[in-house]
Amino acid sequence: MEQRTFELRFDSIGGLGAHAAGQILATAAVLRMGMNGSHFSSYGSEKKGSRIRSFIRLGSAEVPIRTSAPVERPDAIVVFHAALLRDPTTLAGLRRSGTFIYDAPPGPAPAELAALPRAARVIRVDARGIASAERSRPNAVLLGTLCGAFPFLRERDVLDALTEEFASRRPEAVASNTRAFERGRTEHEVMEDVGHAEGDVPAAASEPAWGYLTQPVGGVVPLPGNTAWNDLSASRTGSIPVLDREKCAHCGVCDLVCPDLCFVWGAGPAGGRFERELMGIDYRYCKGCLRCVESCPTGALAKTAETAGLADRLRVPLFPGIVG
Amino acid sequence: MSAVVEPGARAASAAGGSVRQKLVFKSGNEAAAIAARDVGYHVMGYFPITPSTEVAEGLAKMQADGEHETVMIAGDGEHGAAGICYGAALGGGRVLNATSSQGLLYALEQLPVQSGTRVPMVLNVAARTVSGPLDIRGDHSDLYYTLNTGWIVLLARDPQAVYDLNLAAVRIGEHADVRLPVIVAYDGFFTSHQKRRTWVFDDPEAVRGFLGERPAYPTPLDTEHPATFGPYMNDPDLINNKVQLSGAMEAARRVIPEVIAELAVLTGRSYPIVDAYRMEDADAAVLLLNSAAETAKGVADDLRAKGERVGVLSPNVLRPFPADELRAALRGVRGLTIGDRADSYGAGGGNLSLEVRAALQQDPADRTRVVSRIYGLGGKDFYAADAERFFEEAAAAATTGRVEVPFAYHGATPGAPGRAPRPGLPPIPAAELSRGMARVRPNGNGGLAVELEPLWKMTEVPSRIAPGHGACPGCGIFPTLHQVFRVLEGDVVALFQTGCAMVVSTGYPATAHRINYVHNLFQNGAATLSGLVEMYHERVRRGELPASKDITFVMISGDGGMDIGMGPALGAAHRDHKMMIIEYDNQGYMNTGAQLSYSTPLGHRTATSEIGSKLSGKRYHHKDTAQIFAACHLPYVFTASEGYPEDLMRKVAKAQHYAKNEGLVYGKILSYCPLNWRTDDDAAQPVLQAAIDSCFFPLYEVEHGHTRVTYDPDATARRRPVADWLGLMGKTRHLLEPRNAEVVRRIQEETDRRWRRLRAMHEHPEL
Repeated sequence: MEQRTFELRFDSIGGLGAHAAGQILATAAVLRMGMNGSHFSSYGSEKKGSRIRSFIRLGSAEVPIRTSAPVERPDAIVVFHAALLRDPTTLAGLRRSGTFIYDAPPGPAPAELAALPRAARVIRVDARGIASAERSRPNAVLLGTLCGAFPFLRERDVLDALTEEFASRRPEAVASNTRAFERGRTEHEVMEDVGHAEGDVPAAASEPAWGYLTQPVGGVVPLPGNTAWNDLSASRTGSIPVLDREKCAHCGVCDLVCPDLCFVWGAGPAGGRFERELMGIDYRYCKGCLRCVESCPTGALAKTAETAGLADRLRVPLFPGIVG
Repeated sequence: MSAVVEPGARAASAAGGSVRQKLVFKSGNEAAAIAARDVGYHVMGYFPITPSTEVAEGLAKMQADGEHETVMIAGDGEHGAAGICYGAALGGGRVLNATSSQGLLYALEQLPVQSGTRVPMVLNVAARTVSGPLDIRGDHSDLYYTLNTGWIVLLARDPQAVYDLNLAAVRIGEHADVRLPVIVAYDGFFTSHQKRRTWVFDDPEAVRGFLGERPAYPTPLDTEHPATFGPYMNDPDLINNKVQLSGAMEAARRVIPEVIAELAVLTGRSYPIVDAYRMEDADAAVLLLNSAAETAKGVADDLRAKGERVGVLSPNVLRPFPADELRAALRGVRGLTIGDRADSYGAGGGNLSLEVRAALQQDPADRTRVVSRIYGLGGKDFYAADAERFFEEAAAAATTGRVEVPFAYHGATPGAPGRAPRPGLPPIPAAELSRGMARVRPNGNGGLAVELEPLWKMTEVPSRIAPGHGACPGCGIFPTLHQVFRVLEGDVVALFQTGCAMVVSTGYPATAHRINYVHNLFQNGAATLSGLVEMYHERVRRGELPASKDITFVMISGDGGMDIGMGPALGAAHRDHKMMIIEYDNQGYMNTGAQLSYSTPLGHRTATSEIGSKLSGKRYHHKDTAQIFAACHLPYVFTASEGYPEDLMRKVAKAQHYAKNEGLVYGKILSYCPLNWRTDDDAAQPVLQAAIDSCFFPLYEVEHGHTRVTYDPDATARRRPVADWLGLMGKTRHLLEPRNAEVVRRIQEETDRRWRRLRAMHEHPEL
């Protein structure tokens, strides 16, 4: 058998601890298990709430790791946020017999995962639920699950690296992280009959929309406001503001404090009390900061747990007829 | 499981060499910082720029924990940082800097001065693409600018090399026959941010023994031996100075291997001038710098396994250029692909390619056919498949003795007709943006009065910024901009200086801007916009543009942009162009990961003003930018906060009036940053309120020289101690510990002093 490095990709959004988890895992492998390893995350202009990928390569200490390019064909993918399952690039490149770990409460596997290879091992763990119950973070749970799925990742070493990471910064978090890790290691579910694809998942092709024959000269972007096509809903981490129009005084304060410019206004009905009315929220853009809830003088906006499909049901589009 | 031999547990193989070493798992930037700690530099002058900033951050953290005593000086920009380093190095101690990209270019004019006056120091370059358009990822377009500066350039292909060569660099540059500054260059992100197994000295005594003392060269700090440093030197003499410099470079050819060999005895690791991998009998080869060469080595192994005679060359030293070593290594090579991660536009190859070709040309026995390729620009990844293509082209040249395409770009995308990004939103008619939401009238007192429509009414004005930008949840910049744009009337042209607002609103090929938007350089926005303003008025005067448009010009900057850009902004202010400068102040360089700016208050924690057993955050008070602009005697200066929208919008309406009718206006707006203030996403209101109620950030305006406080916490009995505000943020919570009581006292005292002064100006008609 060919000896090559074991390659992992963590798919996440900034702020969930995927980078830290990758660092803890790779540090444990290199400094505690005596392996060779490399670790880095995708960098760009990403901020908290933006898409991030973290890459880990592990191998024998005697074999050099030459490449510094991103992992294209991972042996394992760990998904830190269920919303990312909707994006096909989250599955991209998984080897046919690879392992796919995702965060979700108990329930059937999402339909999108049918695109995984038939032979792939698919593992579900309620990382957010466990983290919340144990006052820890999802990354501690997912590291536990990873160790459970791959015994060569020695749980003791990974847990020690996790503990060391927090021992100086947040000593109070060590015990809860340990419990979260342990529950992640033991309380995951291997899902049956999820993937239906043959062979490896194709690697993501990221062709730019414009090339040198078509890109407007000088880098000019003659497409005003086309960020309106972006979907920021994956930036949210569990809560959305929900509007109760009965309570709304249509005062406009929410609109002035919203960083994401996602409030939708319209003319009030003729003869009605309000000349302008808040119609709703375009959740396509809402990152769930809840500044509007905090600022609402009438309690019309309430922090609400985002259950599956809730935002889609309540969404009022800001650009109807343009951005669906 | 796939066909992977799972890596089992093995004892970490010990490093060779005679010195005690420790295995760490670190990135290139971290390795540079650890090396700097081990060297024990006297001074580091720096300015944050991605991807090199972590060097200063790592040192700041280690300093806070008492691991070293290097004096860390944050410059006002890279030009200033380079000046700090030059002055410090003249002073006779050891000096470090780290930069990238535009930072290196902004510092560039200092580099030949440093080498020409023969003042050693070490500069880490985490190589990154130069603008424009702005690209933060790694290539060698910054590095190539250093080739003519007279600095020694060492290349570090991985974090291990970054550590080792940082130690060697000190000795090489300080050698009596050399006396030159040294660059250690490594690839931005690929090396700067990727963690690898790295061995470091575990014996401080051994590091000191290797480095020795810095030799005593003439210094202005030696008052016993007065001397002039930096004379005015013209034509008969300058050429002789350069002969000396050239000779020093030649001496470095001898000194570099000596120093590296000495280090190798200690560490067991060696760095030949040119790294030749499997070149013994190679007839086709690839020549690359730094991290890409490592990728190519892996491919060379695969090709060798198939019987192909291929190898990889990559220099560890770029200046002095290793021409002899490369000629020797290429003697038997028939086909060579040289990959340049930057072009020398119009020269038919990147600098590496041109220099290797020139070196080969000096060899009468040269039989090497050269293929020049530009690859990996702007951080485009270099995969094994790319290296395979380079080997194929080299092999084809070796086999045929001909090169079909001597020079080309590799890996670019042609694009296809019909394929394009998502369309933009329809333009907003100016009439929709001129709905009189803030009506400005003379107040009968030489100033202006503003009447605002109710907030709900303002929702009729379409937003000039589209949603879908990538700012963090809870970011205060966009509420700030939303409030500003709500009251601005008519056509607006916006210029953003580099910063969060710029980066998250214009990720190519998307833009959140629905109006004309310009970005130039971090520091040069005010100059750029002033040029645009004057061109506008001149073209109107010549009848080339309609006067009826009456465009308003607005520059948006963060507080960091008003450090590095203070000079150009003051220049524009003194020239009194008809434009607005709006600063969103979130108290640090948040776009690069929260380093201190001069607007960061005393004691606040940032990535370069860390807290630990020895340090408690920033060491000096925040700059009073509004008063600096007030001293320019502008028609209008104001402060505001997104937490007081109506006050903010009144001031912006006034500012627009003055910018159109009189001259330059400046406004500083306190803007929330939950990520780096370490607060909840939704806590803007209480935190901003406390900053204002404590008088840390007073709301006022200076209209035609008259100061007016627009919100007086004393008068409304809402005044609170600054500690109330400091207790609300994670970045300042350490200040409430008893050991930091003196810091809080100083913040309170300075806050009170500035507030009393402001009150006095408010009360006195001539102030």
